[in-house]
Amino acid sequence: MFRSCSAWFSQSVGRELCDFWVAEGGVITNHHDADYLFSSDASCPDTQRIHESRDYIEGKATVFHSCYLSSNASSEMKQTVLLGHFILPPACLQEEIKRKIGSFIWEQMNNSQIEQLEIL
Amino acid sequence: TTSASPKKSDLRCMGCVTVGLSLNSKNFSKMLQTCLYQCDRHRVILEAEERYKEKLRKLAFCNNSSSAPYQKIVLTPIRKGNLNTES
Ligand SMILES: [Zn+2]
Repeated sequence: MFRSCSAWFSQSVGRELCDFWVAEGGVITNHHDADYLFSSDASCPDTQRIHESRDYIEGKATVFHSCYLSSNASSEMKQTVLLGHFILPPACLQEEIKRKIGSFIWEQMNNSQIEQLEIL
Repeated sequence: TTSASPKKSDLRCMGCVTVGLSLNSKNFSKMLQTCLYQCDRHRVILEAEERYKEKLRKLAFCNNSSSAPYQKIVLTPIRKGNLNTES
């Protein structure tokens, strides 16, 4: 389902999600060339660097939470997962945002979906 | 006419209706900014990000804008809380 798409993965993302990306036809590349930037932790130094980069300031480097891929991997949610719900904002903004809109979707995702992925 | 009531299709947040692979890290921010309607979640995230980016731009400018902002910023220790908004 990710054929001809390229992605960069933060070191914070588990190996099984990178494998899932490749198994679904995706390519892994550097953060500058990648169509998709995935991280599971905005405070991870490699993700922080993206959030301080010129590309990010210019609006060309939105980071998404890797739970987007976990959701795609769980069959009952396939084709209905909205990428737009998995924006991973810079770590220093998350508390402020949460005060206004509540918890992020990846915080609500339960462990069973993650466990399910590990079985795949 | 500009004062006409918006069409129903304009009142959907593109960040919340777009499935499939038409969106990615490179075009998401632009898409959301040009979207006529944003839901509360996306509006709050967008506003927070824009304020943060504005601070980064200023920081990069103060540190001499000749090279990539992030390199300058990484070399300059940022005091904790500097990038926090309304804390
Ligand atoms: Zn929305």
